[in-house]
Amino acid sequence: MELLNALFRSPPWEAVRLGLHLAFGLALLFWLWQALQLRSVVPLKHLARPRAWLLPTVGLIGLCLVAILGYQATWQLGGTARPQFIAFMQSHDRRQFNPAHWIQRGRILDQRGQVLAESRNRGGAAERVYPFGSVFAHAIGYADPRFGLSGVESMANPALNGSTLDSLGDWGELGRQLLTQSKRPRGQDLVTTLDAGLQQAAVEQIASAKGIGRGAVVLMRPADGAVLVMASVPGFDPNQLHPTLFRGGDPATPLLNRATQGQYPPGSVFKVILAAQALENGFRGRLDNPANGYTTSSRYRPIRDHEYYEAQRSGRAWAGHGVLDLTTALAKSSNVFFAQLGVLGGHRALAKTGERFLFNRSIAFVGGPSGTVHLQAAQLEPIPERDRYGLAQAAIGQGRVTTTPGYMALVAAAIANDGVAMRPRLLRDTAPEVLGRFMSADTARRLRVMLRRAVTDGTGQGIETAGLEIAGKTGTAENPQGASHSWFIGFAPASAPRLAFVVLVEHGGYGSTVAAPIARDLLLKAAEQGF
Amino acid sequence: MARRGTPISISDYWQLRAPERRLLLWALLIALLGYLMLLGAGPKDGLDVQFAALVPFLIYLGTFVSAHLLLVLARFRGDQLLLPLTALLSAIGLIAQARTGLFAAAALDPAKLIPLPLGVALMLIFAIAGRGGRYRLATRVTWLWAGVSLLLLALVLATGQRYRGAVYGFGFITPTELLKLTMVLFTAAFIDQHLKRLSRWRSLLPPLRTLWPLLLVWGLVLAMLLVQRDLGLVLILGVMLLAVLAAGTRHSGYLAYGLVLGGAAGVALVSFFAHGQRRVEVWLNPFSDPTGAGWQVLQGLSGMYAGGLWGEGFSEARPRYTPIAESDLIYAVWAEELGFAGSLLLVLLFALLLIRLLSLAARARTPFGLMAATGVAAVLSVQTLLNIGGVTKALPLTGITLPLISHGGSSLLTVFASLGLVLAISDGEPVKRRSTQATGVARR
Repeated sequence: MELLNALFRSPPWEAVRLGLHLAFGLALLFWLWQALQLRSVVPLKHLARPRAWLLPTVGLIGLCLVAILGYQATWQLGGTARPQFIAFMQSHDRRQFNPAHWIQRGRILDQRGQVLAESRNRGGAAERVYPFGSVFAHAIGYADPRFGLSGVESMANPALNGSTLDSLGDWGELGRQLLTQSKRPRGQDLVTTLDAGLQQAAVEQIASAKGIGRGAVVLMRPADGAVLVMASVPGFDPNQLHPTLFRGGDPATPLLNRATQGQYPPGSVFKVILAAQALENGFRGRLDNPANGYTTSSRYRPIRDHEYYEAQRSGRAWAGHGVLDLTTALAKSSNVFFAQLGVLGGHRALAKTGERFLFNRSIAFVGGPSGTVHLQAAQLEPIPERDRYGLAQAAIGQGRVTTTPGYMALVAAAIANDGVAMRPRLLRDTAPEVLGRFMSADTARRLRVMLRRAVTDGTGQGIETAGLEIAGKTGTAENPQGASHSWFIGFAPASAPRLAFVVLVEHGGYGSTVAAPIARDLLLKAAEQGF
Repeated sequence: MARRGTPISISDYWQLRAPERRLLLWALLIALLGYLMLLGAGPKDGLDVQFAALVPFLIYLGTFVSAHLLLVLARFRGDQLLLPLTALLSAIGLIAQARTGLFAAAALDPAKLIPLPLGVALMLIFAIAGRGGRYRLATRVTWLWAGVSLLLLALVLATGQRYRGAVYGFGFITPTELLKLTMVLFTAAFIDQHLKRLSRWRSLLPPLRTLWPLLLVWGLVLAMLLVQRDLGLVLILGVMLLAVLAAGTRHSGYLAYGLVLGGAAGVALVSFFAHGQRRVEVWLNPFSDPTGAGWQVLQGLSGMYAGGLWGEGFSEARPRYTPIAESDLIYAVWAEELGFAGSLLLVLLFALLLIRLLSLAARARTPFGLMAATGVAAVLSVQTLLNIGGVTKALPLTGITLPLISHGGSSLLTVFASLGLVLAISDGEPVKRRSTQATGVARR
């Protein structure tokens, strides 16, 4: 025994072991060869001649074994070709020597090449680092052995792991690296459509805005759906994930991506959709808007314009907007006008608009190799025929209708893009996809003019900036939780839009004084950078 | 050799079985190499190798050396490849099981050491007792085999406990393993008795009037197995029945009917039983529930992927991360330690074993011998394919052990006893009848 232990402890043992492994394999092969020789040595002459079925049966079993071995090889040797498998091992395999752990995930970059996520080597294992902390928590997501994958990290997982390789040469190289363990295999870098500077500015603006410092900003290119900013505040730090985060219970819901999943009453920004519906249906008329408001039945409180309440508060008298056409009503954001317009259009028209505008759907971003991120559209369950007041309320973006900020950006982008909504994209090297036509090009053109008027002569006057040519619609959405949500959606420049945006500040108050200036500041910054 | 012709003395048999001895010695040497490397990893972690760690290997060594000597002493003329092949596969089993911590020196449990020598002893008893055509005595007690099978199943159903979806007997012994032998014997014996009438079909109809007792027993057995949800065993036995029927009667109609009925039963099983459905779903997409139903097979595959082409080497891998490593997923442990190359070698060994069993079956002198050996070969083939296929995700995981490699007393004993039966059959018929024929066993 001591001899054995001494042998095992002696320095050359490690080398001997390697030799012994080789010897073991060779000895097995030699044994097999000898066993085959034996067939001629002991021909079993005292037994009968073999039956005819022997060969086919042997062939069948051999075939099964070869097939199983071949399939085994696709996992054991070609496992890199299975992105889900690699992801499983990265999350759930505790073997330190598993090559899946050595794969250094590719970096995630913004469109200017700024690093949003990268892998660093710490103690043999790759550690994921997010230089911007919580700023991109929802857009980029996280890749964590314990908590899995989310956001771009999830939708581009195979590329980041290096398993969507273009040429056979790439495959060979990765295989060689894994086999020889000479070099750390590395995934591909991934360029997103995001812009770090604008995103950071958006997050800071929301966090310091009036209200409780929560909200969302989305900035996208109408022509191809590229998302430059997708901010949701508050975020969380993906560098320091903790189980309590996933347990929920935090009233600030930092895990929720407000931009794509947060449902809010849209308030007046929803009037844009109503205006589109009216234009599509050929509405060119005028409506009278009495100061006393409009209701469908004396049992319900009349819907009034906010000027009415302002006048009441200051003890003045207000005569009402009087007779308005659609352009002016949209610029002034008249509740009375749009409530009437909604009821005038009817239930069926709104349902049809909802279908065209993809209400109640989950809209997928342009997908990465393994799945994608989704954006919830506006939610509006069918309003019963009898409920005309509900229809009036929905028409001004209150009551049964809710929406995510990201969806309103999509609507603004569709108006800016001649009525065609492009599917939102986060990865630069994906091809633009058409999501659908929300309205005719003519309607879109008219709406562009109207929304420009809303900034020059209407509720958005406060942010009119020379050179930006902003077009947009403010929103001040009442909600049962507290102060109104502050909205602003739109695009710029109005004549040839390059950017479409949404800004939502939870409980921020008036859209014109809280959300709109944030949008203007972002557009200014974007203009500085040449967008 | 003293004389040409029939060997008589012990020394003749000593010479006759020289090829077996040579292969066996090589096999034991390979086993020693592997075991040494296994032990050699201990001191690396600061642990001295205790003598106790050698005990399993010494028992193994003694078992197979005495097995060879006993065969010589018993003037056994039968196959010379099976014993060394069994020894080699058992060595791999020993090493793989030692890696899963089964033989931890601190708690050497006799219950874990005894199955191997006991199994080999059983194999020898079957081989020696049944040599010279005496194995055909089994046909005299046809209904004993059926009775034992049914009794075993009924007992397990009445007293067994459920674990991992299947029913086990006391202390996690699986008495149903024994069915792999008793059902072979019953089927072969029954067909042997009615061979002529069974091979006579009336156009497309099998001779049901003769067949019904067989079908009745089989129906009961399969039904009870299905109640226990032992789908793997149902498949193994079903294929065995078809193989034995077809090989014995030489009527391919049995095969055709069997395949159609079996296919229909399979489809029905998968579409009507939630249990079967879930299995198939998990098999097709283990990533739908990676930490639940897909966990076992994915962890096994992860280990294999980590092993790669050459593996991590003896004692370098971490089989404890593989679930049920010591029995169902032991193939994954081996593939993790010795890589794809190692598993290729193991599969080659299994291929050799199965081919040898089949060729022994195909050359048996009596119909009963032919059918019994075919049955054993079919059982071991399907079992091997199901296990390896299940671990590599080529097939659904069925909870079947890998013959000779997996730990599991009843499984091991049954396999050894079955091999003993084939050995007995390979010994041929009584010397008297043989004397008229060329019986040259001389080496060329």
